[in-house]
Amino acid sequence: MLLAQILTNGLLLGGLYGLMALGMALIWGVLNIVNLAHGALIMLGGYAVYFMFTAAGIDPFAALPVAMLVMFAFGYALQRFLLNLIVRSAPLNTLLITFGLDVVLTYLAQLAFSADFRAINPSYAGANVTVLGITIPLARLAAFAVALVLAAALWLLLERTRLGRAIRATAQNLVAARLYGVDPRQLYAVTFGIGAALAGAAGGLYGVVSQLTPYVGTNLTVKSFVIAIMGGLENPFGILAGGLVIGVAEALAALYLGPTFTDAISFGLLVVILVARPVRSLKGA
Amino acid sequence: MKQAIAGVSVVAAIALSAAAAPAQTKTITLGASVQITGAMANPGHYYRDAYQLAVDQINAKGGIAVGDQRYQFALKVLDNQSDVNLGVRQYVQLITSDKVDFLLGPFNSNDALDDSSVAEKYEIPFVQGGGASSQIFARGYKYVFGTLPPADDYFGSTIEMLGKLEPKPKTVALLSADDSFDVSVATGTRKLLAKPGLTTVFDEQYAEHNSDFTTLLSLLKSKAPDVLLWGGHEPEALNFIRQAKSLDFSPKDLASFTVGVPTADFRKALGKDADYTFGMTVWLPSATLKDDWFGDAEAFAKQFQEKYGYPPDYHVASAVADVETYAKAIAKAGSLDRQKVRAAIAAIDFDCLYARVRYAENGQIDLPQTAIQIQNGELVPVYTDHFLNKPQYPVPPWNARH
Amino acid sequence: MRWAALALIAALLAILPWVGDDVMIQYGINALLVATLAQAWNIIGGFTGYASFGNSVFYGLGTYGTAIAMVQFGLPFGVGLALGGALGMLCALLLGLPILRLRGHYFAIATLGLSATMAAIVANLDIAGRNIGLILPLTRNDAMFYEASLALLAATTLTVIWLALSRFGMGLIAIREDEDAAAVMGVNTTFYKVVALVLSSFFTAVAGGIHAYWITFIDPASAFDLTLNVRMVIMAVFGGPGTVFGPLIGSFILSSVYDWLASSISTAAALLFGLVIVIAVVFMPRGLIDLGAGLRRVGWRYLLQNIRLHRI
Repeated sequence: MLLAQILTNGLLLGGLYGLMALGMALIWGVLNIVNLAHGALIMLGGYAVYFMFTAAGIDPFAALPVAMLVMFAFGYALQRFLLNLIVRSAPLNTLLITFGLDVVLTYLAQLAFSADFRAINPSYAGANVTVLGITIPLARLAAFAVALVLAAALWLLLERTRLGRAIRATAQNLVAARLYGVDPRQLYAVTFGIGAALAGAAGGLYGVVSQLTPYVGTNLTVKSFVIAIMGGLENPFGILAGGLVIGVAEALAALYLGPTFTDAISFGLLVVILVARPVRSLKGA
Repeated sequence: MKQAIAGVSVVAAIALSAAAAPAQTKTITLGASVQITGAMANPGHYYRDAYQLAVDQINAKGGIAVGDQRYQFALKVLDNQSDVNLGVRQYVQLITSDKVDFLLGPFNSNDALDDSSVAEKYEIPFVQGGGASSQIFARGYKYVFGTLPPADDYFGSTIEMLGKLEPKPKTVALLSADDSFDVSVATGTRKLLAKPGLTTVFDEQYAEHNSDFTTLLSLLKSKAPDVLLWGGHEPEALNFIRQAKSLDFSPKDLASFTVGVPTADFRKALGKDADYTFGMTVWLPSATLKDDWFGDAEAFAKQFQEKYGYPPDYHVASAVADVETYAKAIAKAGSLDRQKVRAAIAAIDFDCLYARVRYAENGQIDLPQTAIQIQNGELVPVYTDHFLNKPQYPVPPWNARH
Repeated sequence: MRWAALALIAALLAILPWVGDDVMIQYGINALLVATLAQAWNIIGGFTGYASFGNSVFYGLGTYGTAIAMVQFGLPFGVGLALGGALGMLCALLLGLPILRLRGHYFAIATLGLSATMAAIVANLDIAGRNIGLILPLTRNDAMFYEASLALLAATTLTVIWLALSRFGMGLIAIREDEDAAAVMGVNTTFYKVVALVLSSFFTAVAGGIHAYWITFIDPASAFDLTLNVRMVIMAVFGGPGTVFGPLIGSFILSSVYDWLASSISTAAALLFGLVIVIAVVFMPRGLIDLGAGLRRVGWRYLLQNIRLHRI
């Protein structure tokens, strides 16, 4: 029935939303940097996958790990050589500098790639399967699966590896972490790199289910905040859940209130959540 | 001390902003603020490309005769980065600081709406080919002209065609965006749909930059309309079609879109998924459209493609018609006086590669839309007031297409 | 002596419409309005330390308040401005209370969310013309707009001067430096913060109202323009947040640079603007005024000092 279809649509969309926000939440939680250039990172990852697909015929899902590596390197360099310089500055300054970065990256992308629409269109892009009367687009289902896998991978990284413990320790208490031998410059850069890699993966998937232009980043950044706040900054699965909530909320808003209300609902939810519940970060309190 | 700094800064700022007026020796300068970068760069930059080619061609063929003097066109185009407010300031700058003679327009109705107020305020002719919304022409402005036909009528020939197809479609779904242009389209379409034989089973609006149509598609699927009439901008059209395929929605008989179909990069992005889609265009590069400077529309299309690397669509042709309007009107008025040129434009009537150009009382051109369809990757004109080619109809569902 | 100098500058600026040409007046109106926004932001962001990234909500409400009053009810411009200002203040009062409980990034994001929500709601209201917006009557009176903008900027700056000299202003600075300590010392932080936000919202809203009538066409996207937020913040921060003249200097310099770039190299203007922001944040995070003082104190080492202070 209609409601079930709409809920399914919302959940599948929400999975991709969650993946988009994963990188932003990690960087925010550990480095206390709200990255306004996050959408630009998503966009760049998308273009990386696009060019691998069109130039070398590599399947987008196979190209994802490569794009993630490329974005990791880019993010690492960005943090290590630029953002590390201002990381202990007031939060306002990090917002401003990442905004400036967003403007620069978008401009350079438009110079390099032009404003033409780029759609990543593998043969299975429109394939779907109907189960119990509900049509499920396969590309979106695959994107949802990738989001789950990456969220799980991030969780495993944070909880079960040395690097992850170092990241969490640094987030909670920088001084203590230093005393234990963590090199914060290196660690921050690695964390940002991981965040950028996750953004890149989201971008590749976004290019398959939608299309890319240098300007898609802005809306995606805003969406990502909403979800990061919704999901809390502590747990990757929480972010995914936040994504699902927003995805379903938007779908239901379009159904019951009308399609022109989706933004009002997602941003409204953002404000309500911020005001109503205390937000914790990886730092704790 | 601080006051001194402030004072010096203010004076410096004002000094920086005063620019020297360009010397004018036998040139007529046309000015425009266009979306060369930013979210609307596609098709914004088409306008810059079109204006440039038109100006170059007219100059190459000897320029314009004003009285017994020959003049050349000069072009000053600024990039408003798809920011409407910046566009307005740039038009003011073009008028007051760069002292251009006449104005050309940007892409998009919202921008044309804003920018035309500046032109009217300064009493300078503004011939634009990017805004079709009836709002632009409903204010009684005297200096604003447009070469895109009324948005209200976009689906006119398509709906007429529906009445002549076999099997005759009975139910219609209307989905349009909520910006100025698309609201005009929807309002006009509703009137046209009030004909006997067609029932509207779905009539919704979506937010302008919305990228997710899954809920709307599921709703549409549940209504199972025969025909879908869709209004919005290109990125949304692309999203809609791709999501429609993944949710397996296709109207029983056909779907028609107000934008995208005539444009090359739209078809390229969709690949095979673009096939069978209906759309409309007010212009096709046909050799029957003769032009004083380019020969005919077909030759123009070749020349444009060679220079810029992509085939022109109606936005481009409309922009060229704007430049040619000035060439004709200035020659006819025999002077550069703005009032005289304005009057000449209002009374003009000439043929060019775009169409027969003449402006109604309110300043807008009136041209019929040609319903078109993408058949096997090719753009095929299907219907104006009679069938030009056979449509692939009814459109098969997704799984029955190649 | 300082007051005399100020009065002289104000008088010089006031006669511009009669001595300057059209383009100067245009730039002037725009520069004055943006300077007002930066200065109004300064009240809540610079003095109180609550960096709002959503002052555009007040700007938008002022825009729509004025437009609706004039278009739907036929009221005169002055009344429209008053209504716009009132609408902005009402929003600051009602929504400020819950939002001002947040700090740092969360406050910034909440204000941004507020602005985006308001834009989305307004796009659904018939009285506001939904997403198409409203068209205001055309008037050819740039001198009036110029003087109105100048008067607004003067009022905003006088308010900031009052803040810098008064106990109330000291209270705000105390909140910025250490809110908990201020509370312990007896400052009613909630009251102070809300008043600061209300003041900021009033000037921002009236600026929106003037802009609406000047530009004659408004729609949700341009009225609640999110990039406007960043521009007003960057101008205040570039000049020196928490000072009286910092935002003015910052905004005049940046708007002229930006407008000049947009008129000559237009396309690259955005790129250069982005680069300016990045460089400014790295080398002079406390603004031009501090840069001026810093250079006098320690010379060019000031720039490196900043990096050393803030890097990891």
